[in-house]
Amino acid sequence: MAHEGTHAAHHETSVWALPVGLSTFFLSLAAIAHFTWHLPFLAVLSGGVGLALLAIGIAGWANEYFSKGHDEGLGFQGIVWFVFAEVVIFGTIFAGFWMARVTHADVWVREWIPQGGMNLALVALLTLILWTSSFTIWKAEHSIEEGDLGGYRMWLLATMVLGTAFLVLHAWEWLHLWHKGFTISSNMYGTGFYMLTGVHASHVLVGVLMQLVLLINSGKALNKKTPARAASYYWHFVDLAWLLVAGTAYIVGSYGKF
Amino acid sequence: MAAVSYRPYFSAGLKEWLFTTDHKKIGIMYGITSLIFFLIAGLSALAIRLELYQPGLQYMSEDAYNQALTVHGVLMQFWWAVAIWGSFGNYLLPLMIGARDVAFPRLNALSYWLFFAASVLALLTFLPGNHIRMMWTGYPPFSLNENAGPVAFYALIIHMLGASSLASAINLVVTNLTMRAPGITLRKMNLFLHAFLAMNVIQILGVPALAGAVTMLLMDKYFHTAFFDPTRGGDPLLYQNLFWFYSHPVVYVMILPAFGLISEMIATFSRREIFGRTSMIFAIWGIAILGFMVWIHHMFTSGVPDWIRILFSYTTVLIGVPTGIKIFNWVFTLYKGSVRFTTPMLYTLSAIFMFLIGGLTGIPLGLPAFDIAVHDSHFVVAHFHYVLGMALTLAVFGGFHYWYPKITGRMYSELWGKIGLVIIMIGSNLFYFLQFIVGLEGMPRRYADYPPIPEWVRLHELQTIGAFILAFGVFIALANLILSTKLGPKAEDNPWQSPSLEWLIPSPPPPHNFDKIPHMPEDWDPYNYEWLEKQHKKA
Ligand code: HEM
Ligand SMILES: [Cu+2]
Repeated sequence: MAHEGTHAAHHETSVWALPVGLSTFFLSLAAIAHFTWHLPFLAVLSGGVGLALLAIGIAGWANEYFSKGHDEGLGFQGIVWFVFAEVVIFGTIFAGFWMARVTHADVWVREWIPQGGMNLALVALLTLILWTSSFTIWKAEHSIEEGDLGGYRMWLLATMVLGTAFLVLHAWEWLHLWHKGFTISSNMYGTGFYMLTGVHASHVLVGVLMQLVLLINSGKALNKKTPARAASYYWHFVDLAWLLVAGTAYIVGSYGKF
Repeated sequence: MAAVSYRPYFSAGLKEWLFTTDHKKIGIMYGITSLIFFLIAGLSALAIRLELYQPGLQYMSEDAYNQALTVHGVLMQFWWAVAIWGSFGNYLLPLMIGARDVAFPRLNALSYWLFFAASVLALLTFLPGNHIRMMWTGYPPFSLNENAGPVAFYALIIHMLGASSLASAINLVVTNLTMRAPGITLRKMNLFLHAFLAMNVIQILGVPALAGAVTMLLMDKYFHTAFFDPTRGGDPLLYQNLFWFYSHPVVYVMILPAFGLISEMIATFSRREIFGRTSMIFAIWGIAILGFMVWIHHMFTSGVPDWIRILFSYTTVLIGVPTGIKIFNWVFTLYKGSVRFTTPMLYTLSAIFMFLIGGLTGIPLGLPAFDIAVHDSHFVVAHFHYVLGMALTLAVFGGFHYWYPKITGRMYSELWGKIGLVIIMIGSNLFYFLQFIVGLEGMPRRYADYPPIPEWVRLHELQTIGAFILAFGVFIALANLILSTKLGPKAEDNPWQSPSLEWLIPSPPPPHNFDKIPHMPEDWDPYNYEWLEKQHKKA
């Protein structure tokens, strides 16, 4: 329970929180410039500044974290709480999806499911990829606990490759469906489908980026093992969420027209 | 460790403020931002009251009225009633648990900068053509309509605030759970910290629901998704459900820490442990949990089935029980206590009084039979101004005075503090009590105009006068606090004689709070006043 406070003097200031915070301002401004002001130049400019600030901020932050102070092990608990919040975020979209699925069951099956149903074989493949990546990240975590830096790097890289493969295949699937006329604005199935899978894919992307940051800083990972544990926990959550997402978006969604 | 040269944060340069990760500086930054927006929201309230002084439209167009009301609602809720806890919580949590900082100091700074970015976005909505006019609730289908203003602003502001709240909540929960100094058990922890912990847990579970709702709004508006479009299988009620799933609990995000401050101040100024301390802790968690089970009471007129309305009516009334327990406990603490009527204590007692009125009017609002008649009337507006506008604000101002010597190292003027409070109480009761009456008589909320019924006109005139008196009181209170940072006499380290940990260190606290992490003895307790006396005798 009780934990000795360990923040030494150099923790008093850090330049990296400010650029990350400001990056969100510029990214929002870019969205506003695009959507409501219709100023494409400002949108691109602001978006570029935002992304640059974000990248610099995160790189500097990670570097500072890995090179200063020692591992306090608190980050893991932080991620656990964050995952609770994530569950609620997914919950909101599930709520919309299920409400429509129940109240409009008739039209849903008659009109909304795309011709020929959903590609369930592809779902099986995607599931397999993600589950394998859950195994590889577990191996990565295991390696770093054992002090095996080479294994850590290799398994991290494997996880990233699998995560990226998932994203590419998924994007291909979206394009395919979209061209069939099943779009995000078709009806609540389209909306629910693309939002559930899209939000999930964005989590996969964030997970892969986390792993990239870990890989870049892996040289200093031996005395800071908490981030690897936290990223692994997060990744398991993303993989588990996929079960519900895929089960809902594909199976519940297209049930009646398999 | 080499001795750090003692340097209170006042003398810190701009660079130190911009890049700081010190929880005390971040707390002060939250407080100042929060206060600035409190003033902007207050000015827009005066504009609203001016317009309602007489029937007809005198000073504003209907659009401008809608904008003023939206600005007032959004800023008061998110920048004042929620964000002010970023200030108190950041400043006090590490001091009260004997820690040098929070668990993730850099993340803490990021939380502030996200909040700052949201603040700048909010200010940008004042640009012509960007006024948000969809009220703080942003209900579709109205909000998807051109007249409601840019959804992108509304949604992104809420996203940024949400990200900030979430990061901060996670940070402070982890801090609270893992960094308490030896001897500070959960049982001995300050009641403010229990309330603050519950508040942050609510934030973690609630904020994402609101984020989800406004994301759907954003998608419906700009990507033509079907979430709220019934012709394509969507449902506007989904928005209301998600919105209130967060926005009812958020009233406890606002009021629970205020309850915490009240408990701290009542204990100190009665020199007694809070009566029924364990029941207080259970009441806090009871409120936090029940708070997620009552949201339909905001939707009694939205067309939800009867059985659901009845169910949620019961839960709403039920939540009055832990709330009542807290009020009784405060009153019992006064009994046989040696009560000192300092300015913060008077603020606290006023807050309890105002909460009583606000809470008691909440109960009938929880009964569909009554609520259907007064929903969306000024009666509801008066209800939440008693609990939120007054009880919360009075507790916060009480807290400003109570920790003033700790934060600034100086003392405010007791006389002007009390004068400010008296004026606030006169103005607010004149204003809000009459709002109940005009509401019961049928005055709907969110209208810029009303029929020239002589009684209504008189009631509105008096309300507007009350509002200006209230504003004057707030001005005096703030002027006292601001001027005293320069003119006030030097304060002692522990002017109120409280054994709570933040008072056992110098004022203002040194940069690292504690040179060595304190080990609190068995007989110490934040409300054990005899312990403090014994320490004095020893010294
Ligand atoms: C005894 C506890 C309480 C009960 C039973 C209660 C009940 C209610 C009910 C039923 C409504 C909906 C009225 C309507 O729209 O027709 C309402 C509105 C409201 N209450 Fe309370 N309330 C309580 C405490 C609080 C507290 C502590 C706060 C804030 C600190 C608060 C803030 C609000 C707000 C802001 C609204 C209006 C929301 C809006 O429509 O914009 N209430 N309350
Ligand atoms: Cu409510």
